[in-house]
Amino acid sequence: MHIDKVSTFCFFASYLVALGLELTQFMRTSRMNRWAAIGFAGAGLVAQTIYLFHRSQVSGLPPLIGSMHDWLLVLAWVAAAVYIVLELRDRRLGLGVFLLPLILLLVGSSNSVIKIGQPRDTQYAVAMLHASLLVFGIAGVMIAFLLSLMYLIQHNRLKHKSPDPDSLQLYSLERLGRMNWWAVVGSVPLLTLGMLTGVCLAWKSRTTSSPIDLTSAGFVVMYGLWLAMIVLLGWLVGRSQSSGKIVAWRTLWACGFLLVTMLCLEVFTGGIHGKKDRRTGTFARPSGEWDVTAERLIQRSTEDRS
Amino acid sequence: MNLQVVFCTHQTASLSVRERLAFSSPELLARAYHDLRERFPQCEFVIVSTCNRVEIYTAHDVPGSGPELRQIAKFLSEFHDVPLDDFYSELSEKSGSHAVRHLFDVASSIDSMVLGESQIVNQVKSAYDSAAKATACGLLTNTLFQRALTVSSRVRTETRLSEGRISIASVAVIDFGKSIFDSFRDKTVLVIGAGEMGEETLRYLKSEGVKRILVCNRNPERALRLAHEFGGIARDWTTLDDCLCEADVIVSTTGADRPIIDVPRFKAIRKRTGERPVFILDLGAPRDFDPAVGKIDDAVFLYDIDDLEATCQRNRNNRAHEIEVARQIIEEETTRFVHDLNHKSTGPIIKQLREHWQEISRQELDMLFRKLPHVGETDRMAVERTVDRIVNKLLHPPLEALRDESREGTPHGLLEAIRRLFRIS
Repeated sequence: MHIDKVSTFCFFASYLVALGLELTQFMRTSRMNRWAAIGFAGAGLVAQTIYLFHRSQVSGLPPLIGSMHDWLLVLAWVAAAVYIVLELRDRRLGLGVFLLPLILLLVGSSNSVIKIGQPRDTQYAVAMLHASLLVFGIAGVMIAFLLSLMYLIQHNRLKHKSPDPDSLQLYSLERLGRMNWWAVVGSVPLLTLGMLTGVCLAWKSRTTSSPIDLTSAGFVVMYGLWLAMIVLLGWLVGRSQSSGKIVAWRTLWACGFLLVTMLCLEVFTGGIHGKKDRRTGTFARPSGEWDVTAERLIQRSTEDRS
Repeated sequence: MNLQVVFCTHQTASLSVRERLAFSSPELLARAYHDLRERFPQCEFVIVSTCNRVEIYTAHDVPGSGPELRQIAKFLSEFHDVPLDDFYSELSEKSGSHAVRHLFDVASSIDSMVLGESQIVNQVKSAYDSAAKATACGLLTNTLFQRALTVSSRVRTETRLSEGRISIASVAVIDFGKSIFDSFRDKTVLVIGAGEMGEETLRYLKSEGVKRILVCNRNPERALRLAHEFGGIARDWTTLDDCLCEADVIVSTTGADRPIIDVPRFKAIRKRTGERPVFILDLGAPRDFDPAVGKIDDAVFLYDIDDLEATCQRNRNNRAHEIEVARQIIEEETTRFVHDLNHKSTGPIIKQLREHWQEISRQELDMLFRKLPHVGETDRMAVERTVDRIVNKLLHPPLEALRDESREGTPHGLLEAIRRLFRIS
């Protein structure tokens, strides 16, 4: 099997078919279609795992620190795994319509961001920690966003006294609220620590040829969003009598805004770590050593292995 | 057959109409029977009043002497002090075999909101007992209701209608309660009222793991009995507001004729509890909670009987096959009942005809034996048996014709012909 032939298109197509099958549940509830959706998502997950493994092998870097492209794919991988595990536990749940579009968005947008990896350097451990914390923090934000969305849909159904639809079975409000609380409470410290390690890395980069400017617009926006998440966390922990619906709305707005901003920053400006070159359409990296091309990286890792 | 039913059910009328026409207490029911007897002294009556239906069955011996739809509607209007225009269009009427089929449908829970529910049998039985107690029943209604209970039993035995979600409580808890709360184990359930519906709900919630149950009822003895049965705590009616503050799940099934919890009262309770989710199941008809209570805040989830209609319809669609089987049984039983009833109406004529012919044969035999005094006892008995056989054989064709004709209804023409042919008065 030529694992280098596996491309993002393979698993993007698998997830797309899975989403299509999930959407057919709205027309006619079918166990067969649900099984088929899980099967296609499973196939996509296998292909994605192979793809990430291959990229990791080629670059000699774990996916979490590889590049923004790998980050997004790891997030999509986590979401796909969560979808499959939860659906296998309870096949009546209609999580696909929430998770699969997000997975597709992440996989799709991963093609628009930097694919070039960062070679191991002296700050490898800190960079790894920084990336891991942020990836898991963002995963938490994504989960909180989806849980809030589910909460609001379930709440709306209950308030309108509509029967429980077979096509879109969701968890109870109590469970969604609890999970949402934990997702926010878990993700905010991760994001905070991720940002702190990022500040450390930026501080250390001041002596390099391309120091990271912590006062740039991208960073300022991120500080604002992080602050919003801190406020949300404080309010969630400190609240006593607020209704679950208000919690869900606030979480939805905070998390949704954070995710959209981050995605826009990465797709349109090359993220807060670099800027898009208007002439070539490629992204410049701050560190001199980080300016290597993917080909050079691949070549180097191949030489290392041989 | 002089039988008819005037009704409004969850399929024909909204809860707001049904609750205004309901006979929610035994006292009200007794007064209604008294009133009906005064208005229509020649009729038999049975009133079936539940949260899903108000039905008045009437039967009478003399054709044309029974009340019409408009007269029953007028009675309802005057009795409940509800303008006729508010509900007249939502009343339905069935008569003859259609009325019989309707009662069989009702008793077999085919017509119920929750297919296969068991409460309706008890409700029909209780309605019949109340009518009997009020001496409103007669020969026809007695036969009809007794047969309805038999048919209900047959449907339950021969179909799978009673399997699965078979109570309003279970439907409400599964479709709505479980979408609000993950588990009922750590929740406090308050039951307001101690009737059968409350008992049924508690039975279901208990099976879902509820541990803390409060029962609040105007009659403390009934509250105590229900609380004792389900391991709950009986609370005094005066502490209802405190109970409402403690409860996560509220099931209300009182027989009150107007809402017992209005918006200001519940707002005061929410001030004390904050916006904690509360699941309210109002199974009363008339409703115990003002519908506006559900709009007080985002965490109040209030459901009444009519809110469960869509869920019940889906439940019904899933059991289409069982309904078909049940309908076949009901059709068969209706035909048999109508036939038996019609055949019974030919009974007096048959009896008279038989007695008339037997009288003639006895007279002829007496004359014969007087002329033949030497005939022994054994021979006399043999001759009598022969004559009896001749009479029976001669009677057989007209009786058979009557039986056949009575399948289609009371054979008035044939009965009249027999009366004239054989000079029976």
